[in-house]
Amino acid sequence: MVYAYDRIDERMLADRAAEFREQCGRRLAGEITEDQFKPIRLMNGLYLQLHAYMLRIAIPYGTLDGAKLRALAHVARTYDRGYGHFTTRTNLQLHWIKLRDAPDILDELAKVGLHAIQTSGNCIRNLTADPHAGATADEVDDPRIWAEAIRQWSTFHPEFSFLPRKFKIAVTAASQDRAAIRVYDIGLRLHRDEDGALAFEVLVGGGLGRTPYLGPTIRERLPVKHLLSYLQAILRVYNRHGRRDNLWKARIKVLVASLGAEEFGRQVDEEWEASDKAAADLPDTELARIRAAFAPRGFDTLPRVSAAFETLEADDRAFARFARHNVKPHKMAGYAIVDVSLKAPGETPGDCSADQMDLIAGLAERYSLDEVRVAYEQNLILPHVRLDDVPDVWRALAEADLATPNIGLISDIIACPGLDYCALANARAIPIAQDIARKFADPELAETIGELKIKISGCINACGHHHVGHIGILGVDKKGEEYYQLTLGGSGEDDASIGQILGPALPADKVTGAVDDLVAVYLRERQGSERFLDTYRRAGLAPFKEAVYAEAH
Amino acid sequence: MPRLIRWKDGRAEAAEDPFTAVADDEVVPPGDVIISLTRFQVEGEHLLGQGRQVGVRVEPDEAVEALAYDLPRIAVVALAFPKFRDGRAFSAARILRERLNYAGEVRAVGDVLLEQARFMVRCGFDAFEAADGATPRQWAAVATRFHHVYQRAADGREPAFAERVRA
Amino acid sequence: MKALTANRLDDGEVVFWNAGAWREAFVEAEIFEGEDAAEAAEARAKGQITLLVEPYLIDVAPVDGGLAPVSYRERLRALGPTNKLDHGKQAAGGGGIEVLAHARGSARSTGRVNLIKRK
Ligand code: SF4
Repeated sequence: MVYAYDRIDERMLADRAAEFREQCGRRLAGEITEDQFKPIRLMNGLYLQLHAYMLRIAIPYGTLDGAKLRALAHVARTYDRGYGHFTTRTNLQLHWIKLRDAPDILDELAKVGLHAIQTSGNCIRNLTADPHAGATADEVDDPRIWAEAIRQWSTFHPEFSFLPRKFKIAVTAASQDRAAIRVYDIGLRLHRDEDGALAFEVLVGGGLGRTPYLGPTIRERLPVKHLLSYLQAILRVYNRHGRRDNLWKARIKVLVASLGAEEFGRQVDEEWEASDKAAADLPDTELARIRAAFAPRGFDTLPRVSAAFETLEADDRAFARFARHNVKPHKMAGYAIVDVSLKAPGETPGDCSADQMDLIAGLAERYSLDEVRVAYEQNLILPHVRLDDVPDVWRALAEADLATPNIGLISDIIACPGLDYCALANARAIPIAQDIARKFADPELAETIGELKIKISGCINACGHHHVGHIGILGVDKKGEEYYQLTLGGSGEDDASIGQILGPALPADKVTGAVDDLVAVYLRERQGSERFLDTYRRAGLAPFKEAVYAEAH
Repeated sequence: MPRLIRWKDGRAEAAEDPFTAVADDEVVPPGDVIISLTRFQVEGEHLLGQGRQVGVRVEPDEAVEALAYDLPRIAVVALAFPKFRDGRAFSAARILRERLNYAGEVRAVGDVLLEQARFMVRCGFDAFEAADGATPRQWAAVATRFHHVYQRAADGREPAFAERVRA
Repeated sequence: MKALTANRLDDGEVVFWNAGAWREAFVEAEIFEGEDAAEAAEARAKGQITLLVEPYLIDVAPVDGGLAPVSYRERLRALGPTNKLDHGKQAAGGGGIEVLAHARGSARSTGRVNLIKRK
């Protein structure tokens, strides 16, 4: 069900680990300076943050199995402080790493096919995919097949390892976008064209950061067999023509915006037509090999409904609530997709202790065909749980504080590490998230409010996706104080949009109150089944703005 | 004279550099020279007529395609890395090799560092003016460290997907 | 007043200079009254490339009960993350930690403080 690394993939990781061990050795011995070493360690996802080194481990297209998750738990326990932080890029960050341990950690990870390759640097980063891949009924293919093809192609790419800036790709094959493909450097949406053939819609030049853009489509129907040659053409145009004089203008979104999507697309086509497509594209044999690795296996033929599930749903209000928010339909009868919430109110969004990881690994092995997914909302997913088993899974999760029934609700907040850890931050993000989540911890209240996505970044790099939060919160530095800029109306999904600034930035202790005011306006103004976002879009900024800033005058 | 590392048949060796790099405001000395693309476009014909070897230095913001028709007469294309982070020359090298079928020397000049060896070799560079004083032995070690590659490039190495079919 | 800080190369730990040695607790940092001594120490630290990453000077000011870095970011470095009080230097507790934890007034970084001051 999950791609397993073969001899070649494993050798690649071993070679990489050996290389990094040698590079670390040279640095510790003083043979190379920090200036020379920094780009090397960054290419391996090793940052120096405020308190220690941070290692960013790639989780390609967010897919894990029990063994991988256990290995992450083991590394977190042995070399860090017993926990890890899942990010919006579906990576895992360990925040208390020692440089001298890093080579050993890479060896440990390599044993289970994990690594930190290309989790930093101006290269093609670890890619993300629909976390429901292979489990949802609304997809035309398993997008991970294509994500794995791209993973291999982009790994140590000789031409594209020194791009103008980092480069991120997201893939989905579903009608509902759960991978935020419009805010990626390249977003790929797999669909079927009129003839029923698989094709990619290719979006280029989306991104958040200082100047957020939603990526325009440059090709509606790219035949799937040409995926890699077409990606090569896009990357080559970008590598040659993307700006390198200004860090803030170096992302592909600026190139696409300055040329216009049409002209950019034309240049890509020109490059593509001039290239030897057959040399770049994957042969059918390899695609078939990868496809076979993701083939559904192990599903039983089950009745559509489960008595065990329905009985408990009727009898237990807590379970019923969990079922409403954390259990999603599966393509196979009798199965469900179960969300594991890493957002217990008051906890750090995305943090997962080693013990929790072990527990989830065990549940995956026992109940979810040995699969776990990481969602960019900083939650985990057990993608293939029998309806009959959902009650057991729920109980086990609840015992470990992992069953908060809040997926998509107000306390399911995205927050980047912010100034508590990140050397680039302006302000803290985590305490703001904790405070808001505590305020709305009552599940009854959260449910009354309904879908509301709050996203918090500690600086304009926007790792917390604040631009696409229904309520976005951005940490800014106002004369040396932590302040927070609120935006409203963003969305990273099918109805993608960039949020509008609500008004002047607020001090930390006013943020939760402001959110409370915004919610009150929504509850007052909403019509019918409108979500917060819908009400905002209908009613506009004014009533919200008035509520938040009224007291100030 | 900068020390040159040459890459041939999977091996790196130290080499004397017969070429003199000539800046645009310098008088062209006798012997084999490497000149800028702009100068080549003005004086190239004349210099080649003197029976010497001429190499052309291409900056990252210049298109190697401008040399397409002259390539058979050019002994060296020197692709510049003003900073190691500026990766445009990687594309230029592949275009020279794979699209324009250039068979002469493709030389990396500028901020050329050991850690880039394997990428450069893969993109078709075969001569290096290492800015960090890397030795040919170090160069070869970095360039050949990885047993496999995942994609086709200008070095003709067999990518993983082809190896897998063979196995 | 200034102190000299860096991250230790081999484990990343935040450290403070005191008379040529590196200490983990801010209370043990040497406080420089004059620019010259501070800069001399910084220059020496910059030469210790197998020990340190990026040594730099930070501004320090009196607060209730003692001294603290002026910048908020530096106080976080000297304490640990505010979301996990059992991690980082703050876990050790003690008077020095208390002083830092209660220090108010803030600026993001010394570099910025200098900029603001110069204006
Ligand atoms: S958004 Fe800024 S503060 Fe948050 S993790 Fe990214 S770089 Fe750090």
